[in-house]
Amino acid sequence: MATAKRSAAVEAVKDTVYRTCLLLDDERWSDWLELCDEEFYYKITAYSPEIRRDVLYLDGDREQIAQMCELLPKHNTDRSPLKRHAVVYTVDVDGGSAEAVTSFVIYQNMLDGVNSHIDAGENHLFAVGRYLDSFAIRDDEARFVTREVRLETRRLDKGTHWPL
Amino acid sequence: MARNAKQWNAHPDPGRIEWADSRIYSDEEIFEEELEKIWKKVWIPVCHESELPEPYDFRTMSIAREPVIVCRDADDKIRAFLNVCPHRANLIERRPSGSFKEGTPSGNPKNMTCMFHAWQFDMKGRCVHISRGEEGYQDRLSPKDVGLRRLRCEVAFGGMVWVTLHDHIEHSVQEWVGSALDCILEPIEAEPLEIFHYHKSVIPSNYKLWHDTNSEFYHDFVHYHNRVTGFNDAYFARKNMTFDNGHVVVGSFEVQYDQYEGFESREALSFPTLPPNNWYMIDIFPGINYNLRGSALRVDLMTPLSANEVMIEFRGLGLKKDTEEERLTRVRHHNTIWGPMGRNLHEDLLSITGQGVTMRPGTEPRHILHGRHENETIHDEIGMRHYYDEWSRWMGRPLHNPTNRPAVAAE
Repeated sequence: MATAKRSAAVEAVKDTVYRTCLLLDDERWSDWLELCDEEFYYKITAYSPEIRRDVLYLDGDREQIAQMCELLPKHNTDRSPLKRHAVVYTVDVDGGSAEAVTSFVIYQNMLDGVNSHIDAGENHLFAVGRYLDSFAIRDDEARFVTREVRLETRRLDKGTHWPL
Repeated sequence: MARNAKQWNAHPDPGRIEWADSRIYSDEEIFEEELEKIWKKVWIPVCHESELPEPYDFRTMSIAREPVIVCRDADDKIRAFLNVCPHRANLIERRPSGSFKEGTPSGNPKNMTCMFHAWQFDMKGRCVHISRGEEGYQDRLSPKDVGLRRLRCEVAFGGMVWVTLHDHIEHSVQEWVGSALDCILEPIEAEPLEIFHYHKSVIPSNYKLWHDTNSEFYHDFVHYHNRVTGFNDAYFARKNMTFDNGHVVVGSFEVQYDQYEGFESREALSFPTLPPNNWYMIDIFPGINYNLRGSALRVDLMTPLSANEVMIEFRGLGLKKDTEEERLTRVRHHNTIWGPMGRNLHEDLLSITGQGVTMRPGTEPRHILHGRHENETIHDEIGMRHYYDEWSRWMGRPLHNPTNRPAVAAE
């Protein structure tokens, strides 16, 4: 029974991670945040071997991230969509909580970031890294408590306004 | 009305409005000449002293394609050298940063070692070991003949490490910058600073287009954040001030950060003596920028890669004495506007990418207007005009006809 419960939790975690990839791919920010707990905390980090320090590129709680996403239409931005390919490597369940490590690559499907006549339709590798997630497990559902987007890619060129 | 080709190509009357020929941004011969005449002749702030905090720490970079290494000696002095082995011109150190305290597979602790043939150099650039030297060179070559090429190096203006490839440069860093940084000197020198942010971007655009963007604030129309937190009487009264050697200061005002949903005042963590929420921007010729927004200092360094490609390194700095909580707040203030996912930086980089498309090598020459006059206030383009006066002086090329093409008469 315990094994069955654990397996259900693992599947719930994977389901949430993969659904989130699709929601983020489709820029459905509020639907993604619906999968997050009230105390959700999000951050994008990397280790910089140039300055030999961890660097924080973006962070915020659920309200701050929601506010940021709501303001996106007011900003000029590279509209080239970002598309994720992710594989959940590990899920560790501990009672009502779980942690998962997911490897990802993010492609940029070029639209208007440089010269759309030439580039639109081409895919660029935008970023490589891992999602380091923690979840609350309730009623066979996994909800994000934290997400750290741990980037290996540090030359982000034009960057982006969007959550990764 | 829209114009035909002749009208489009006709030179604007420079007596009525200032402009530049776009080949200053796209011509590959001009680019190569810029590296020789400008970038190899000026002071460049290659890193911050906190990037090499301990004796034997090092940092590598390049200036005008020349590999450079900066290291800290046992006596704490920071020195710079070409990162080129005098033996067979291999790159001596390949890592972006690190420490020589430990040995390497080919070399001893506390030395720089070229892994190729295991020649070793100390932190003063002296060659201290030639592998099988006597056997191969007998008395024809000794270590004292093959020291590293030392570069002039000074630590100044908030702890930045300034290096020049020019041995006989006539100015010290202090003299070169002059009083351009006086407006933020006390805030950035009152306390030791420490780096907390580094990232870099390679953008398909000419380096001067990034410097232009930092010099003219008319482009604030691209930034929703700057429009809602500025664009008031105090903003439009900000003065642009020009300084010797092509440097420009964009004067300060009090930014209304709370006008952007979710943002907060920077007052509690203002740099020492800086009035709350003030914002100074200082552009140093030919491609360096100090940007102090209340609680965080940003320093940009450009490395021109080709006529149509530039690498920009972005550094964020706070006070070394910051508590963990203070530092995190500074980092957040920095990131929300200037990080790779920040509100403004992406918009600025997107803008010069578009300019890079229309002014890539081989495109038609265009007239780039630098002609806004608004009593030298924030949307006056005096900063660009001042920069290009200096550029023309260094290059010996007129801005309107940098490659001596035949003029097209206006109809």
